[in-house]
Amino acid sequence: MIFDKQKLIFLDGAMGTMLQRAGLRPGELPELLALTNPALLTDIHRQYIGAGSQIVYANTFGANRRKLAKYGHTVDEVVAAAVGAAKAACVGTDVRVAVDIGPLGELLAPLGTLPFEEAVELFAEIAAAGERAGADLAVIETMTDLYETKAALLAVKESTSLPVMVTMTFEESGRTFTGCTVRSMCRTLEGLGADAIGLNCSLGPKQLLPLLREICENTRLPVIAKPNAGLPDPVDGHYDLTPAEFAAAMEEAVRCGVSIVGGCCGTDPAYIRALHDAVQSMSPGERTYRAVPMVCTPTTPVEITGVRVIGERINPTGKKRFQQALLESDLDYIVDVAIAQEDAGASILDVNVGYPGVDEVTMLPRVVQKLQEATTLPLQLDSTNPDALEAALRVYNGKAAVNSVNGDEKVLSRVLPIVKKYGAAVIGLTLDESGLPATAEERIRIAQRILDATQDCGIPKEDLWIDCLTLTVSAQQEQAEETLKAVCGVTQHLQLTTVLGVSNISFGLPNRLLMAQTFLIRAMSAGLLLPIINPNQKEMMDAVAAHRVLNGEDKGCSAYVERFAQTAEAVTKPAAASAAAMTLDDAIIRGLKADAAKLAKAAMETEPALTLVEKHLIPALDRVGAEYEAGKAFLPQLLSAAQAAQAVFGVIQDSIAGEGGAAVKKDKVIIATVKGDIHDIGKNIVRTVMENYGYDLIDLGRDVPPETIVETAAREKVRLVGLSALMTTTLPAMEETVRLLKAMPEPPAVMVGGAVVTEDYAVQMGADYYARDAKAAVEIARKVFA
Amino acid sequence: MTLNVDEALRYLGVRSDPDGTLHAQMTAMAEEVAAKHRPRWVWRAFAIDRTEGKLTLTGTMLTLPGHTAERMLADCRQAVLLVCTLGTAFDAWVRAEQARDMRRAVLLDALGSAWVETGCDTAEQEIAARFPGMYLTDRFSPGYGDLPLDVQPELLSAADARRRVGVYDTPSRLMNPQKSVTAVIGIADKPQMARIRGCAYCAMNKTCALRKAGTPCDI
Repeated sequence: MIFDKQKLIFLDGAMGTMLQRAGLRPGELPELLALTNPALLTDIHRQYIGAGSQIVYANTFGANRRKLAKYGHTVDEVVAAAVGAAKAACVGTDVRVAVDIGPLGELLAPLGTLPFEEAVELFAEIAAAGERAGADLAVIETMTDLYETKAALLAVKESTSLPVMVTMTFEESGRTFTGCTVRSMCRTLEGLGADAIGLNCSLGPKQLLPLLREICENTRLPVIAKPNAGLPDPVDGHYDLTPAEFAAAMEEAVRCGVSIVGGCCGTDPAYIRALHDAVQSMSPGERTYRAVPMVCTPTTPVEITGVRVIGERINPTGKKRFQQALLESDLDYIVDVAIAQEDAGASILDVNVGYPGVDEVTMLPRVVQKLQEATTLPLQLDSTNPDALEAALRVYNGKAAVNSVNGDEKVLSRVLPIVKKYGAAVIGLTLDESGLPATAEERIRIAQRILDATQDCGIPKEDLWIDCLTLTVSAQQEQAEETLKAVCGVTQHLQLTTVLGVSNISFGLPNRLLMAQTFLIRAMSAGLLLPIINPNQKEMMDAVAAHRVLNGEDKGCSAYVERFAQTAEAVTKPAAASAAAMTLDDAIIRGLKADAAKLAKAAMETEPALTLVEKHLIPALDRVGAEYEAGKAFLPQLLSAAQAAQAVFGVIQDSIAGEGGAAVKKDKVIIATVKGDIHDIGKNIVRTVMENYGYDLIDLGRDVPPETIVETAAREKVRLVGLSALMTTTLPAMEETVRLLKAMPEPPAVMVGGAVVTEDYAVQMGADYYARDAKAAVEIARKVFA
Repeated sequence: MTLNVDEALRYLGVRSDPDGTLHAQMTAMAEEVAAKHRPRWVWRAFAIDRTEGKLTLTGTMLTLPGHTAERMLADCRQAVLLVCTLGTAFDAWVRAEQARDMRRAVLLDALGSAWVETGCDTAEQEIAARFPGMYLTDRFSPGYGDLPLDVQPELLSAADARRRVGVYDTPSRLMNPQKSVTAVIGIADKPQMARIRGCAYCAMNKTCALRKAGTPCDI
């Protein structure tokens, strides 16, 4: 282990700053200097070593295949030369060389278009080349996207045996450009196996101090600070701190517990010399780690410092509509379920997609990625299939929880290494190969066994959550008390966080909700922190709100008061609306979702679904559409009406799924934003409106290759394809897609639209229709399917 | 810095809002936008080099070809590159909102466009304050007039915008985050008349929905 929290390590200062002084222009690729002028690099490294650096970063920051390809050089060539130039400077010293890995210069999906595994591959090439060239360690730096950082860290861990330091770049607000928090960074990167973490670049050391303090409290790892020499002047490009000022501010960082220090932009050997002289006799300050159980996404760390609700609704068991959605890959429905739970106050969402006919290994990661585009809540991956868990943990952005393992040795040895590799939290069920023990004591013993196994695996104690298991009280009445006793014992004696599925308690009884609520209240009193419940049940969330007041978490009862102030308002509103004897058509036209749904439910008692659609829904939408075309209503009103119609469709679908019938057969339309184009709000507007006219939209998303569109059109026998492009630069991709579609044996009709598309272009590229807006798209669909 | 709700409404193509409901709703959302997302920007000044009839910014790889740049910077010996953005977190918010409530997402999107423009205006004031006694030209961007989108990557590099504010370009020259603006501003030693306001200079003038409806945006 080359890192030690008690001992200071000196890194180097800026490479870019030094190269610019030597004549490099912004925009020139500095990595090529390893081939054209290695002596310059060796000289810079030597200057830093002379100033006290013990680790120097080879000039490989941007040496990825994509950047180098333009210049006709390979990663191996450039990395080997750069590491060689650094090693040449280290001869006769014990200074170590790091292969330096910076951002790829392109955002990963879903922010950008670069797929996660492709990023892993690009990073792995640099790391492996560095190790082959003799680098002593790897450093991942200047990262702003936690997802990209995860890709880089996985790549280093999987393709080399090098120790690895990871630093990200933060703003004064305590977030990176992509919104990642300090805590999310700490726990995610420590979980993924970084050897030291911290900050680089960003700002000057003074502004970074509060963030460095926060890092020191939220990781057990050695902490790195490699800040800029203050802020650059936009007129002359000079940074505003002198070496002495820089060094003085860094002393404070070392006092906070930072043990690995260096400089980034604007620093040079004089800064490193001043830093070295100022702090070399110091010992890094004492640190106290907050061993708080937590899971996170980049923007949302959820610390289990009180009761946090895990939403249980993303689960097909006993839910016909959900099962249907899974079998049809209708991920939008699953997203809706997630959002409803988030809005109802869940802090974590359990995700279970296990159902006959569903391949969990492909479905679980797909659902995870889809959910992470729409909700910032951390996820709990719920599967008994280790391959599905691994696939999902890999693509998950942040620190997830795994539900679950149990005391069975076979399960532990199969699942825990995966949990460890991806730094997840894990739920341990207090049962084993011989089943669920009847007494609390035996359950606590199993919990202890699971704890031992996780410890052996190197999983920190705060990452293990125990589920003492709820049984149905109407069937095994004495077990309710045993479960509660076990929750209490695990909390107090093992000092572990407990999690519990609550709803099971009340099967087969009347007034299930009261039973579940009472059990929940008792379990929280026994120490339960993570109830797995349906957060849409108001009474359950009310109980949590009250509990938070009683245990002092809800300071000044403010959340409680706000919660019930809101309900008071909500109660008065519908009364006023219903007084105005509204029709279903009115509700849709005025965009009143809740009213439209209610009226649709009532109407369905006397009218069949199809009549409802043909006699009310479509005519109402047409009226709004006509006003929109006449310039009397605008996009927001059009969308309000569409969303009210959506609520009506929801009612119809629920009722059909409830009766076990097949969905209404609808005409299929493919819609996509063409290859290279990532702006898709316009396409999504069209989708929303068309869906609510009753079309079955196959939304292929954005940045869609022509081949995918053609394949889907053939497979699904689609008669209408809608394409969107926003930029002149993506029009060629649109033309290509139209060309391929028209070359099909039975070509579908093609409509095109988007900011830069005109009627003329549409004709020129061979499309059948130009869709000016969403309303026009509906008219085109009517013609095509007439 | 104040978010101009009227401008956002204009981006949405809303030409009348008789009872003001939409305006009121947008104003409430604008407060939320402004509280959660501040535009951030980076700017850098460069000397203009005109050797061999090419207009380049000294010390960078950035050349500004075409008549627009030539005309806009005619009286300038220096130019500022400005990159302003709301960041990816705003995009993620709009994306998440699209799954939740498409209408709200569309309103947010328009507010974001107005907000990043406000950021540019504020940055421009900051720039003006650093050049006392000098005059700023209108800001113009790749895609305006005949300044090609192809200068985007070098412009971002010269301003160090990827590292300083997290603005990237995609291979098809789209900016990412989506609510981002890159611009060139000339620093002149005599007063500059407004040149690029109006449809004639806008790259969208062939396809703009506002213009087609006879209600151009007037910027």
